[in-house]
Amino acid sequence: MRKSTSRLWAIALALAPVAAFAHHSAIRFDLTIRDNMVTGIVKEFEAANPHTKIVLEVTDAKGTRDIEYEGHSRNNYYRAGWREGMVKVGDKITLIAAPTRDGSDGGYALGVIAADGTKF
Amino acid sequence: MIETWGLARFGAAVLGLSIAGAALAAEPPDFTGVWGNYRAPGAAAPQRGAAQAPLPLRADAKAKVDAYHALVDPIGDSPGGHCLGTGMPGSMLGSGGYPMEIVQHDNIILVVFEAHAEIRRIYLGERAKAEDLFPDRNGYSFGRWEGDKLIVETTHLKEAVDQGRYPHSENARVVEEYSLVTNDDGTKVLTSKMTMTDPEFYTQPITAEKKWQLQPGVRLLPYECNEPAWEEHLERLRQGQSDG
Repeated sequence: MRKSTSRLWAIALALAPVAAFAHHSAIRFDLTIRDNMVTGIVKEFEAANPHTKIVLEVTDAKGTRDIEYEGHSRNNYYRAGWREGMVKVGDKITLIAAPTRDGSDGGYALGVIAADGTKF
Repeated sequence: MIETWGLARFGAAVLGLSIAGAALAAEPPDFTGVWGNYRAPGAAAPQRGAAQAPLPLRADAKAKVDAYHALVDPIGDSPGGHCLGTGMPGSMLGSGGYPMEIVQHDNIILVVFEAHAEIRRIYLGERAKAEDLFPDRNGYSFGRWEGDKLIVETTHLKEAVDQGRYPHSENARVVEEYSLVTNDDGTKVLTSKMTMTDPEFYTQPITAEKKWQLQPGVRLLPYECNEPAWEEHLERLRQGQSDG
């Protein structure tokens, strides 16, 4: 099971260069940075096409606030292992998020680590 | 007499075999199935933003395309971001990396792209009358079998400066040649060689090649895209606000 999850994670990251930009130039985000981790409490998780909307309550040096992230399409998250109900409001999750180019809040969720450790 | 009869029977048998052989040879290949981007064994994953050779655009067409990009590029906008299908030739050349499903019948081939649930119809048999057609992002496609190759001509396209790779005018004509091979490892590979002729936009025809591989066991997923916008609209209505 562990191996299977790892494989899905690897597949998700491998697919990311193509799938993530299917519909969006993602010009706001610095997609060369692929190891930026952000942890927060889910305020909203809307798996949608062409892009998923994720709002996290994040606490960092700037304080605590809600930050909106953009993510892969619902279909691409599905193929990477996400299933309905896997991410719920109130969950503590981690995003692998390409940051914004201008340093403002937000980012592009290249991957998600759900509360139970599932990666997609 | 017996010899004559024997010769006649032999001739009939040969003729019968020839007809049967011709019938077998005329049986077109079956493209039915779900297809994804082809990647040769051991090849690296394709990366976004690969440089594209400059297009041989005419000056006025280039001005149109440049104006479009000046408008949308700074904010990263695109038709797909607004739930609009890609249209030809981009739909067949990529469709965002999502799979496509081909459903083949004798008189029509349906190409269903997962992205935006976009559908392309390739008609076989009787061609529609020109007066019954109107411009569309995927145009009107009419195909014919030439042996084991499918030749498809697409016309009645809308002008599309928003095509990612090959913008075109409404008078563009796209001809594709499809062929199916099975690799040594058993992978079925579908290849399309495309030529787009558009003297209004280009100084010379555009050519491109695209390969897919059959993906047994993969199913197309629903691709609802406008639902959030509809829900937001409903919410505004509930709050007594107008979109205007």
